[in-house]
Amino acid sequence: MCLALLPFQVFSQDKKPEPGVFMKDPGSELWRQVRQRDMEGVGISQVRGVDSGVLINARGDQWARFRMTQLSTYGGFAIAGIFAIVILFYVVRGSVPVEGGLSGRMVKRFTDYERVVHWTLAIVFLFLAITGLILLLGRPVLLPLFGKEVFSLMASASKEGHNLFGPLFLVSLIMMLISFVRRNIYEKGDMTWLLKGGGLIGDGHASGGFFNMGEKTWYWMVILIGLVIAVSGLILVSPSLGQGRVIMELSHIVHSIGALVLMTVSVGHMYLGSIGSEGALEGMKTGYVDINWADAHHDRWGKVCHEQDLIISAEEYARSQGQKPGADKMETAEQSK
Amino acid sequence: MIENLIDGPLWYFSLAVFVIGVVWRLGSIIFASRKQDLSVARGAAGPAAIKTVFSRFVPHKEIVSQITVPFVAGYMFHLGLFALLFFAAPHVAFLEENLLGFGWTPMPHWAFIVASQLAFLGLIMLWVRRMVNPVSRLISTWDDHVAAILTFVVMLTGCFALLEGSTGLRLLHRFSVELWLIYFPFSALMHTFTFIPSRAFTGAWFGRRGIDA
Amino acid sequence: MARMKFFCDAERCIECNACVTACKNEHEVPWGVNRRRVVTIKDGEQGERSLSVACMHCSDAPCATVCPVDCFYTTGDGIVLHDKDICIGCGYCFYACPFGAPQFPEDAAFASRGKMDKCTFCAGGPEDDHTSDEYKKYGRNRLSEGKLPLCAEMCATKALLAGDADVVADIYRKRIINRGSSAFNWGVNDLNLGG
Repeated sequence: MCLALLPFQVFSQDKKPEPGVFMKDPGSELWRQVRQRDMEGVGISQVRGVDSGVLINARGDQWARFRMTQLSTYGGFAIAGIFAIVILFYVVRGSVPVEGGLSGRMVKRFTDYERVVHWTLAIVFLFLAITGLILLLGRPVLLPLFGKEVFSLMASASKEGHNLFGPLFLVSLIMMLISFVRRNIYEKGDMTWLLKGGGLIGDGHASGGFFNMGEKTWYWMVILIGLVIAVSGLILVSPSLGQGRVIMELSHIVHSIGALVLMTVSVGHMYLGSIGSEGALEGMKTGYVDINWADAHHDRWGKVCHEQDLIISAEEYARSQGQKPGADKMETAEQSK
Repeated sequence: MIENLIDGPLWYFSLAVFVIGVVWRLGSIIFASRKQDLSVARGAAGPAAIKTVFSRFVPHKEIVSQITVPFVAGYMFHLGLFALLFFAAPHVAFLEENLLGFGWTPMPHWAFIVASQLAFLGLIMLWVRRMVNPVSRLISTWDDHVAAILTFVVMLTGCFALLEGSTGLRLLHRFSVELWLIYFPFSALMHTFTFIPSRAFTGAWFGRRGIDA
Repeated sequence: MARMKFFCDAERCIECNACVTACKNEHEVPWGVNRRRVVTIKDGEQGERSLSVACMHCSDAPCATVCPVDCFYTTGDGIVLHDKDICIGCGYCFYACPFGAPQFPEDAAFASRGKMDKCTFCAGGPEDDHTSDEYKKYGRNRLSEGKLPLCAEMCATKALLAGDADVVADIYRKRIINRGSSAFNWGVNDLNLGG
């Protein structure tokens, strides 16, 4: 621009007199400012409040379009899809049995406190997931079924419940971070696990420590994405902190994408931790796992258990669970023979 | 129709069951005939009884590391529940309008929310611990589970009704409270009151025998 | 059918905030809620202009699109209203609205939003006309009495116009014609005054 004008100015310098008041047309300038295409020139208003000087927030429409067309559609497909995949996987692979069956001899895996932390986080997470999904997908899915009045009650309950339980997620996440972080640091052998596809594909088991690489990755996903969800959630839940709409819109996008990712992967986690893999749920339920299960899924940890003689007999295990020795565990041992 | 029932007869019925039941059960415990203690008194029973009522608020040093979760979560839950029950603005207003005729200063909204979050986290952790700890699971009766779940439902419906904007959610909360009130006198929930005579009895018994515990 | 619209003539608005005050008084809206506000651009500089803004009653309202409980509806007069019995106070309409029209009564930290409140074009809500329920939730229903929104009716400079879009457009067109070939016509940029 300047370069183009320069010769002209030089040329006309001695011919034309000094220009008078040079100003932009206030009429068109006003609407340029109002649109805030360049996101500057915010006005002022006697009505005090965040963003009260902004006349048009064009980002709002982008957010609305993203939420209505992309987020709820792809989010719904992701949730439905992971269930379909898990069911399909179960039909194809079934419950993966422990090689050599269950021995009945157990080894301690998780303390009471660790299981309390896990299940507390799980309950809070599930509650937040369900209430969050009601708010995201309720209008296309539930509203036509229940009608506006009933669905409004459900949505209002979900919103209040979601808001109240949100900070609990952060607290239990921090407890999870502290009590499990040491065993979840990546170590040597983890790459091998990845290269073998985690034992999901093909037959052979992939080698793993106390936690295998898949579990470690899930752990870090929960912690890192969880923290992002928690922080963005707190931004959304306290509108009186003085954050503007644009920050809230971005927080909402981050919050919902992160939550959908966690929800989707959590379905896989729940599957592998329960019906997908024989003997896995025991660890989180009672704190003990079968030594054969440990050898099969976490061979490096299983080796340590053998070496340090941490294995207890079926009788000892039954006693620790308050059952009469050999009441039902012997049966399992017999069956596996 | 159902609104009138929950706000009217059912409320008075549940309140009557609660009050009569609690008075009857407490009375039957306190005035129950006991065997005369024939042992030679080595100490005073009275002061020991009062001391024990308070000393039991703190667990013994020896076991505190074993019961960190129920100790911490228990206090979170009970203090949170007490605060939100008696100092939440909607509860104070309700008691003033429907029961007492006078009110007191409620806590601010943020304190209400924090109190209920403490109560929720405490209750969830207590119940999970009850399930995962073999000893706790073994000694838990169905009454313990019903009491815990019913209390959780009361708190949850209260949380659902936080917007204070719909009759349906308010009625749901009130209905669950009424069920809770009816269940209260016949269940483990009675520990709200019985912990005092129970501790006092143990304290008196110990005190008479000169046991400092 | 009429199609109701607001229009604010920036050449006339003098930022007196009477429309804001009139609205607050007429509908007795709670503290912190302002259904209408006046925004001044370039305050104290050359080319300062003010605009009074409230709900624009969009034909394709973004608030109605994003509402998770579908509580918005458009009346036969093209006025966008919402049902406070359905609203859950989630705040999505506030994110989506370009004009910042949706308002939420909120007080301290951790306070979740209450039910949304916004300009009703003085047309009340879904309740029966002139009931106390309607007045408590949505304020005065002037439209059913044959009156236009109070903010526009009492605008001293007649900068704020409200009513049938065709009529409003006609009035404004006449004003533009009367202003003639003003140097401040829209679409003219970079004026060189003097010289």
